[in-house]
Amino acid sequence: MGVAAALAVLGALLGGAALTLAVEHAFVRIDREAGPARHTELRHNLQLPNADRWLLPAGPVVALAGVALAMVVLPLGPGLIGRDLGIGLFYVIVVVDFVVLGLALAGWGANTPEGVEACYRIVAQLVAYVVPLGLAYVGVIMMARSLSTVAVVDAQRGLWFVVLQPLGFLLYVVTGLMQSYRAPFLEPFAASLGGGVLGVAGGWSALVWRVALAGVLLVVAAVGAVLYLGGPSGPWLPGWAWMLAKTYGLMALMLGLGRLVRPLSTAETLALSWKILIPLGLVNVLLVGGLILLGVGPGA
Amino acid sequence: MMAAFDILAFGACSFVAVAGALGMATTMSMFRSGIFLMASFIGVAGLFILLSADLIGLLQVMMYIGGFLVMILFMVLVMHDPGGAMMAGMELSPLERWFSKGLVPRDEATSAGQDDPASGEGRSHAGNRHEGHAMPHGEGRHGHARDHGGGAMPHGAHGGHAEHRHADHQHGDGGHGGMDMSMVTPVRPLAAWLAAAAGVVLVGMLFLRPAWPVTDAVPDPDSARRVGNLLMDKYMVAFEGAGFLILIGIFGAVLLARPSTHPDDPSRAAKAAVDAKPEAIRDDRLAPLAEAGGAPEPEHHGSHHGHEDHVG
Repeated sequence: MGVAAALAVLGALLGGAALTLAVEHAFVRIDREAGPARHTELRHNLQLPNADRWLLPAGPVVALAGVALAMVVLPLGPGLIGRDLGIGLFYVIVVVDFVVLGLALAGWGANTPEGVEACYRIVAQLVAYVVPLGLAYVGVIMMARSLSTVAVVDAQRGLWFVVLQPLGFLLYVVTGLMQSYRAPFLEPFAASLGGGVLGVAGGWSALVWRVALAGVLLVVAAVGAVLYLGGPSGPWLPGWAWMLAKTYGLMALMLGLGRLVRPLSTAETLALSWKILIPLGLVNVLLVGGLILLGVGPGA
Repeated sequence: MMAAFDILAFGACSFVAVAGALGMATTMSMFRSGIFLMASFIGVAGLFILLSADLIGLLQVMMYIGGFLVMILFMVLVMHDPGGAMMAGMELSPLERWFSKGLVPRDEATSAGQDDPASGEGRSHAGNRHEGHAMPHGEGRHGHARDHGGGAMPHGAHGGHAEHRHADHQHGDGGHGGMDMSMVTPVRPLAAWLAAAAGVVLVGMLFLRPAWPVTDAVPDPDSARRVGNLLMDKYMVAFEGAGFLILIGIFGAVLLARPSTHPDDPSRAAKAAVDAKPEAIRDDRLAPLAEAGGAPEPEHHGSHHGHEDHVG
């Protein structure tokens, strides 16, 4: 059981990484910013003369650990879950922060002007997305009456939450793009910074960054599938097939939608978040509360 | 099996907590100090999770990662030497040296940049990087660093090991001439001994206490719901009051950050758009960065300039 779950998690992680690259390939043109999918030098190590020799290598390891920890509570099917924690969704929000921590460590530890600037932008982006992301979770949690991922999936047996809370889904897609540093919010990895943290990575650290950044997107899409698209539930096909199809579908949708608008700077991201997304999130919470009072939704 | 895992996890978490606290107090880099404090609190969060208080543990992790990253950002903003580049060259106790390991003193670092065969641009700019560079360590070492900056260093003479540089420094300056840092106050050894004594007393109390009361209460698996009910029921006034306080704080920040409404007062003018080139800060004891556009770019050993914007 544990081995099967671990293999499933590993397979999903690798498949997600491959699919991320494929989709980014489809959308990226020469004149567009590649962001976290930019070219990295995997064959050669990189020696930075002033680098902090503790913080720089710690960065990718911490980030990948955060992604791996988040995979634990993702339900890939009935019974196919690492551990059904009672506070699973809160756990996901918390451990994905380790990715931000890893990026900040590596940016500062590289001790180049570009790296330190990338560190600042990473932290600013964290300030931008945490509150609206939490509000996007709150609507679902209110309806499901639980923080457990399995309970959230169970609550959507009849109707997916994307139908009941379209505003929340929209909010989740935008903040999920911020959280995974994809298209309009790729300022920390902009070409003007030489790729930020990726620009100062080479060899094993570039490989770990590639997997960790693809894994963040996979976790964001998988959590979105659990929150709004019913997770592994669906007719005919087995649970894991539905879960993977929804995850990869949401991933492609997010990447594609993100490429439709021009990239936003960190300041614009912050303004968007605090002036538009947070009020929208509060409105969404109010709407969901009204729906629950009206008796709409599961268990009502 | 389970007990062995518990003991192992307890050992790991408490080690992270104690070592993080020790590193926080002894490292020379403010950034590292914040990260060490964060690690210490994450270790404590691990202890909470071992005690089945998983909600408190996760709350702790969330608060400290997000909060400390922002705090570190402000620290970098206002601190004189957030990276510890200046203080790393001082005389350090062994513990401080260990937790500051790998920090590169700034003036030596620029010369180390030349040794790297990959950074060609760094070499070409190294000559003017040292001009007007106020040395923090006195005149004797000033000349020493000039030699490095002049490009007279043979390649590879500086191996790039931090220990070498530390040794260099201690031979070179032998003191901290006129540095006004809290790290060099004379009470530092006293504080260290006091902390060690407090630690010994605490550990002694741990061993001397004869019997620990053992409760057989089973932890509540749905503690999040209980905490939520308490917050919204019994402690609602305190909870909402805290929310109101934070709202007032946000208002205050917006009020302070707004563009000036009194443009005649120069101190309140918006600082965003300044036409004139600001005057360079002298005497900041840091090596000036290279001129705009000439910043030595980190380079791979292969060439990657041709395909920077392509997907790998």
